[in-house]
Amino acid sequence: MKDFIDLPQVPLRPPSEVMRLTRMGSMFPTRLSFLRSLMRRLAAEHVRVDRKLWEMCADGFGHAVYTVTLGGHDYSLVAVSNDLPPEMRTDRVIAEAWDSAYVLYDGVPGPEEIARIVASAPKQEAARFTERDLILSRANKSVRLFEHVVSELRAGRQPSAGMIASVGYLMRTTAVYGNGKFGIADRYLIQDRPGLEGPFAAEMLTVWLIRHFTHELAEHMGGAKLDKPLKRHLGIGNSTGLGMAPFLVTHPVLLNNWMTVRETALARVRAVETLTLAEQDRLSELADRAARHLQQWNVPDAAHQARIVTLRADWERARGDLVLGGVRPLDQTMQRMAAHSEDIQELMVALLIEPFSDLVDGLTECMGDAHGAFCLPFTSAAALRSAIEADAAWALEPDYECAQGCAQFWYVSEAKLEPRLGNRHTEPGADLESPLDIGRRIRALHADLKGVTGPVSAFLDQHPQHALAVSRMEMTARYPYGEIRDNLIADTCLPIDMLRCKLSFFGASKFDPKSDRWTRLTLCQGAPLAEDLSDGADDWWLPVFVP
Amino acid sequence: MNGSANEIAALAAKAARGAGAPPAQAEAFGQATICHLAAGRDPGLLAQALFALPLGPITTLPGALMRVLEEATEDTAKGTLPATGLTESYAEAQPFALTSTPTDQGFDITFTLTEPANRTMPARLALPVALTEKMKTLAARTYVPETEASRLSGAGAGLTDND
Repeated sequence: MKDFIDLPQVPLRPPSEVMRLTRMGSMFPTRLSFLRSLMRRLAAEHVRVDRKLWEMCADGFGHAVYTVTLGGHDYSLVAVSNDLPPEMRTDRVIAEAWDSAYVLYDGVPGPEEIARIVASAPKQEAARFTERDLILSRANKSVRLFEHVVSELRAGRQPSAGMIASVGYLMRTTAVYGNGKFGIADRYLIQDRPGLEGPFAAEMLTVWLIRHFTHELAEHMGGAKLDKPLKRHLGIGNSTGLGMAPFLVTHPVLLNNWMTVRETALARVRAVETLTLAEQDRLSELADRAARHLQQWNVPDAAHQARIVTLRADWERARGDLVLGGVRPLDQTMQRMAAHSEDIQELMVALLIEPFSDLVDGLTECMGDAHGAFCLPFTSAAALRSAIEADAAWALEPDYECAQGCAQFWYVSEAKLEPRLGNRHTEPGADLESPLDIGRRIRALHADLKGVTGPVSAFLDQHPQHALAVSRMEMTARYPYGEIRDNLIADTCLPIDMLRCKLSFFGASKFDPKSDRWTRLTLCQGAPLAEDLSDGADDWWLPVFVP
Repeated sequence: MNGSANEIAALAAKAARGAGAPPAQAEAFGQATICHLAAGRDPGLLAQALFALPLGPITTLPGALMRVLEEATEDTAKGTLPATGLTESYAEAQPFALTSTPTDQGFDITFTLTEPANRTMPARLALPVALTEKMKTLAARTYVPETEASRLSGAGAGLTDND
């Protein structure tokens, strides 16, 4: 923990309450989200975006290079824009071509390096990259909005505010690869650099620069500038599928640190004894902003739209339970939230944290994982079994034998190694299942531990298949928020809950689910433009579009 | 293959799984592999370990390390590990600060449990071509063959996104 400040706090909400899929699937971005942290850092350093190169034809095809200096290091986004036939435009991992491709480069690339990246970036997974390439990404156009914006600018008009409000981005990233994928730099090479210490900081810098590029590309093709309010509301879209979900299972220390920080932040603000008038006004203003944001959040999927409509109505009622006076008003508020839905509770959590930068921002330094799992073995097999019964009741309760309890299996397809989810009872491949069935494994471990004495190592000599479950229990002891406490192979498991949890930590909003395992969303909507970094750079929680 | 530590660790772990190692042991092999390569040790020992499954160091070394950690007293864990060719690499892959001394029986090791490992990793690791191909072949055993149903429904998204 880098945040050593000893501040008053109420007890944290327990993992048994927080680490459930439905609650994780109700999360909203907060001021602790990685994009917010990055924007604060960029603003503090008065970072400037310097367009080093712009070789783009009138139709918007070519390449560009942007450089920023952060923490004493130069980073450059090399952007490549291509002419993509419509029949090839898919956001899936199995795609083989995209409207645009990107590399965040370590330093300022010379002509040879630019030529290398321009040749390799459009190939994405099919190419090899170097340790100078920090992040690899690609994006597809929102064709209708992109073409509309360009045609309106060419006609001397600003684009329709309604269309911008409806779509919210000119392009959607469909992957943002970091940490060594396809030969790019390992995370540890940059994790100590000022400004990039936080989780996914390099990825967030990349998407913010991609957003900047999409604005300039549309302006270049349209031959005119976008009005600033329109431009600021144009974020960068993202399409996210199943690949993001296993990350939360395979990185329990990171998940623990993210959730612990978020819960600690909430516990600190709940411990605030009284609110100043300014704080009361700020909370009221933000509650109103949240209501307007919800009004502007509309999606095509009927079920999710119905959930948003319900949320809007519930929020109006919940605002009546926002306590601003008396002693420990925010603790009272959260107690009152117990009567509301998880969607409302988590929206209120994000709201309550927002005004209290002095109490919570330092916690963001505790969200990384520099050393891996610092765990020791249990002292005996009996101690391990007791720990399962005490801390993993969630894993012992489900019936993993019934059809519903093991209905799904996670796997990696041979087709570009796309992560997928299958029906165990109707589809082949369950024998090659990815080991995300943590609950089932812990229950099986518990069963085989019955009556066993002696050290765990001796037990594992006889039962090596239980090593994963043993390690997860070791981690639970030290990282209590590191495990999703649900059956991830049950028919009730909706991967989109995991996606929303992770993406809320990125700072995503306007979730637009396309199924229970795939979503579109918007990043950087309302975030400062490059020229706005020193002007209100940190006030864009749940942005509201005012054209 | 001249690549990043993370991709080589992931490939080695998948190869071990494809060769029959349980998930945790496969993951440990992935981490040991990058320590092994970073230290300039013989990559052939990695291939031998994969061929030896379900026996050999991929199966035995995690247990041997656990036995050392089970005997920890306060902030220190000490013990002797057998010499397998991958022993030091496995010990170096642990998160704790390590001192290691070769002996006739293997390696006397000491973990300082309050200090993180001081692991330094180069920007690039070299995995011999033949071993890379072998690992890719083994890793492919963990991938589910493509079917039309899987392609259409497995990811939860459509095949075109012209919106």
